[in-house]
Amino acid sequence: MKDQKKSRLFYHIYKNRFLYLTGLIALFIVDYLDLYIPLYVGEITDGLTSHTISMTAIDKKILLMIMLSLVIMVFRFFWHYFIFGTGQKILNNLRKDIFEKLETLSQSYFNKNKTGDIMTRFTNDLDAIEGAIGWVVIMSFDAVVLTLMCIYKMITHVNLSLTLFTLIPMGLVGVYSIVLARKFDEKFLVKQKAFGQLNDAVQESVTAVRVIKAFVQEENQLEHFKKVNDHNRKANADISILRAVYWPIMETFIGLSYVVAIVLGGYYCLIGVITLGRFVTFSSYISTLFWPMIIVGDVVTTLSEANASRKRIDEIFETEIEIRNSENPVDVRELKGEIIFDNVDFRYEDDLPLALEDINVTVSQGEMLAILGRTGCGKTTMVNLITRVYDVTAGSIYIDGNNIKDIPLDVLRSNIGYVPQDNFLFSETIKENIAFGRIDATEQEIYEAGRMADIHDNIMNFPNGYETLIGERGSTLSGGQKQRTAIARAIIKDSPILIMDDSLSAVDTDTEDNIINNLKRIRKGKTTIMIAHRVSTVQSADHILVLEEGKVAEYGTYQQLIDKKGLFAQMVEKQQLEKQLSTIEQGGN
Amino acid sequence: MAKIEKEKVIISYSGSVFKRLFGYIKPYLGKFMLSIVMILLVTAFELIKPMLIARAIDTYIEGYDQTYGIVTEAEADLSYKGLFLSKNLKEKEVSGYCQIVIYHDSYYYFEKLDIQQAKLLVEINDAGIEKVASEADSTIVISDENGNLLQGQLLLKEDLKVLRSYDFKGILMIGLIYLLVVALNALFDSANSYNLLITGQNIIYDMRNELFEHVHGLSLRFFDTHAVGQIDTRITNDVEALNRMFSHILVNLIRNMVMISGYAVVMLVLNSRLAIITFIYLPLIFFLTNLFRKISRNVYRIVRTKIALLNAFLSEHISGMKLIQIFTREKEKFVQFAGKSDDLYNTRIKELFVHAVFRPFISFIASIALIATVYRGSHYILSGTLTVGVLYIFITYIRHFFWPIQEMAEQFSTLQNAFASAEKIFTLLDEENPIKEIDNPVKPLEIKGKIEFRNVWFAYENENWVLQDVSFVIEPGQRVAFVGATGAGKSSILNLIGRYYDIQKGDIFIDDINIKEMSLTQIRKAIGLVQQDVFIFTGDVKSNIRLLNENISLEQIKEAAKAVNARQFIETLPNTYDEMLTERGTNLSFGQRQLLSFARTLVIDPTILVMDEATANIDTETEQLIQQALKILMKDRTTIMVAHRLSTIQNADNIIVLDHGQIVESGTHQQLLMENGIYKKLYDLQKYDEE
Repeated sequence: MKDQKKSRLFYHIYKNRFLYLTGLIALFIVDYLDLYIPLYVGEITDGLTSHTISMTAIDKKILLMIMLSLVIMVFRFFWHYFIFGTGQKILNNLRKDIFEKLETLSQSYFNKNKTGDIMTRFTNDLDAIEGAIGWVVIMSFDAVVLTLMCIYKMITHVNLSLTLFTLIPMGLVGVYSIVLARKFDEKFLVKQKAFGQLNDAVQESVTAVRVIKAFVQEENQLEHFKKVNDHNRKANADISILRAVYWPIMETFIGLSYVVAIVLGGYYCLIGVITLGRFVTFSSYISTLFWPMIIVGDVVTTLSEANASRKRIDEIFETEIEIRNSENPVDVRELKGEIIFDNVDFRYEDDLPLALEDINVTVSQGEMLAILGRTGCGKTTMVNLITRVYDVTAGSIYIDGNNIKDIPLDVLRSNIGYVPQDNFLFSETIKENIAFGRIDATEQEIYEAGRMADIHDNIMNFPNGYETLIGERGSTLSGGQKQRTAIARAIIKDSPILIMDDSLSAVDTDTEDNIINNLKRIRKGKTTIMIAHRVSTVQSADHILVLEEGKVAEYGTYQQLIDKKGLFAQMVEKQQLEKQLSTIEQGGN
Repeated sequence: MAKIEKEKVIISYSGSVFKRLFGYIKPYLGKFMLSIVMILLVTAFELIKPMLIARAIDTYIEGYDQTYGIVTEAEADLSYKGLFLSKNLKEKEVSGYCQIVIYHDSYYYFEKLDIQQAKLLVEINDAGIEKVASEADSTIVISDENGNLLQGQLLLKEDLKVLRSYDFKGILMIGLIYLLVVALNALFDSANSYNLLITGQNIIYDMRNELFEHVHGLSLRFFDTHAVGQIDTRITNDVEALNRMFSHILVNLIRNMVMISGYAVVMLVLNSRLAIITFIYLPLIFFLTNLFRKISRNVYRIVRTKIALLNAFLSEHISGMKLIQIFTREKEKFVQFAGKSDDLYNTRIKELFVHAVFRPFISFIASIALIATVYRGSHYILSGTLTVGVLYIFITYIRHFFWPIQEMAEQFSTLQNAFASAEKIFTLLDEENPIKEIDNPVKPLEIKGKIEFRNVWFAYENENWVLQDVSFVIEPGQRVAFVGATGAGKSSILNLIGRYYDIQKGDIFIDDINIKEMSLTQIRKAIGLVQQDVFIFTGDVKSNIRLLNENISLEQIKEAAKAVNARQFIETLPNTYDEMLTERGTNLSFGQRQLLSFARTLVIDPTILVMDEATANIDTETEQLIQQALKILMKDRTTIMVAHRLSTIQNADNIIVLDHGQIVESGTHQQLLMENGIYKKLYDLQKYDEE
């Protein structure tokens, strides 16, 4: 029960309980009034049989039934609207809550949980809950209320023993429905699995089509596929038997109830215990009663699925926020930009080796530091520690003398400009993407940032200029254009610290020169950290840091490192050769 | 290479889908006919059920009306108060009559009547008793035309049990028949469903095999332009949509039509005037249901779009969460998300509104139809033109009548979806393979391995030449390497040798025979292809070497694995040759995968060996093993290779340097180094990597 109290879903249901109640009252009224139409039909039948009813009396009853139908229609509208509407409202709030919570979770959560998995919370799990807070509510309410009212009417209005005997097959329907729903679920899993295998087989063979052709395996593949296909057919056939008998058996039970009604009810009629009209009323109650019994199996499975979904969603809410403000934050609003790595160690997971080991680097305010190294040597990890995407495992990072853990998170991050390695852009306009760096930026400032990132002219050449919509993940822009847009987004922030994670890899050397020159001008007095591959990029940096397997391998000015003839010097030499080759190839054209 | 085409929204297939679908039904026509017969029976049973109850009402429950005759003991059905009575009076000697009369929901018994008196009482029963002469606790007195007073005795339960035992026998009989009908109904219903479901499964089983075979008969060009997912969807989901059509919709549609007409016919026969009153509402219900379906479909489409938008936003922002956090834009992005979420909410409320209005309204109409029938029916009963039992049938039928109509609307739309799927499937089946084999290919007994390109021009698309006027000859047993930048056309040459694509100009010869005159199977069987990315099939190690070719024995597999140095790592696997492998998340390194593919190739013993970047991405540990393995693999075979790593091709008999689809340099390693061209530069550059 404790677990239920904490559940976000139940919180929302509780909050909307009055809306639900309104809907349920409307539903109750409908259920109640619904019973009267068969009753009136029965009374008319009785009157007709015993000739005790007059035309006018019939007309009155008919009029009453029409009025009743009208009222039922109105209340049906109400319960539809209130119950399903409230369900949608709860879903909407739940959706927003999940998103809000996700925004507070650190990157390690997103590393552990793939986007697709998180998406499933929003899609499948919310869908499952939708069923449970919508139609299941109605069905269970109906099942209870309608059944009770129906049975009450049957007993008081018609006959006790007749009702009891008729109820036996009906109870069996309920049990049968629950048992079968389970069976169906089992078989359905098998069927799903077989279909999954079929899907895998097709996908594999289509993906491997080149190998299959090269090894002339077409016929063998077909034979193999036929087996999987046949397995799928058999799994389906297995469920077909269940499907084929499901309804007929259900109908047999219903039929049994009718047989009881005919024989026993008929007998009671004969000996004057009940009247013919009540017999007619009784038989229409039977069909009303079966509906909830048939559905009870579905209700049970939907509820158990929804409960599993609820738990999965609650897991998100229960996830602890790893990166948070310290309890005694220092009172700073602005950063100057001196960054010190003091004996920093970092590992992604407890059981993984150190990704960074014993890093000691000082970046003074206004300095430009370039970081180089092979893929996987820890460059990106290092800058991720500055923005507190992750927290250090050991040691400390200081900015302006304050441990970054003591700087309020929003202050820290709003003082750092960042260009990600993957040039991630949102599918909005270019303008909105750049203004993401500073919400209150004017048009002129956005243009200026575009110029600094050397993309302004490109953008102006697009038919819609800065209003150009970026396809998801920037598919309408070239890699270089995306990269420069991401640079503009960071530049416009004009922050004391700028971090560029391999942000000039996709631009040509001329553009690169332009951007670096612009940066030097506008970043004067401000700290810039730049991860790079090309030697040309780092030439103008104040210091160069070469990382090798998570450790500092070389550190110094450009000239110092060239003289050292170490890793950096080798990289320089190799890149010069490559440049030569490309001139030859271009010349050969 | 050509871009992946977007899923075709406009369906290009224009043939008669229905006719073609019928082709698939044909082999199972008998089963379909059987099902239709069974459905007719089931429908008949459905119709009979209320009729049986009506008969119970009219003949037996209302059967008190029938006059009893006083007969001899031998011919009597029952005896009551010392009199022998029977209702079946044919050819019996009757000494007097007895009659039950209903008055204020109670039964009264009049005995020892003459025929006139009995008739009078029956009339009174039919018309209803307006007044009685006198009434006491348990007796009523009625006067006949002659002024004789007839006294009726109130019948108690015990009396009725005896007097109406005849009616009870009838009701019991009807109960039994009803039970029988229910049982038969269930039996035929099950048999029918089962028959159809299985038939549907069989049809789509055939269809999937056909599609699969067809797809694998298509050329690589098709796979260049169609995404895997798209092809997969045709074979799996689209066919599944057809399954639903074959096993549910088609027959249920027939069933519902039969059902509706069955109800209609019975109602018309029973009482045409009353039936027509019910039918008036039919077009209205049908029209409303259709209107509702259309509107709700449109709204639903908007809902789907909003859901898609929301999901796109979500997946983008979950991936970009790091950026949102670093730029401290959590609040702004939340507001954006909330806007989209509210947008979806509002659309869902609209959708709900449509349902909330239409559903109750359709129920209301159905209810009105029922009330109208009861109203008219009562009047007919009062005027004596209808029995209570028939009215009962009508009431029951109306309940069942409107359901199939609403179902049919659903079924029609499912049918439309199925047809859309069928069109997509047929479009795929109509896809032709541009690589055509000639009818009587030249079949040399063995292929020695000479390859010649003579002025070959080739483009994947239009005139974007990938190869321009390329000519070279490779003698049997020679080792030739192709070198060049990405996109220079190296891999294309390899593709052309196995005739995966046809060239636009020029000729390609194997053993001096034009490859267009040979059989594809023979060419491809002669060629062993080793690629950079080794595809690992789901299955164990040995099946990944023999590739479903059951003729290759385990001994051969082990031998090949040993020859190419794959044995070492295979034997360290927990289950050695039986170890299960999967394409993704495979526990093998690149080098190990490559060794496996060497074994795969060696085991088929090809005359020509083609290696496309086969030694890229290999860790230094495996490198040595690979080099040794390669020597074994290349022994006595014509070998053609493409490699980035020049160290692997230094021993080639001939190195051909390609640039932008043309041959720019060729010769041995030493010759090319002397030339001091592109090859030399590439070579120098790579020295740095190896240091």
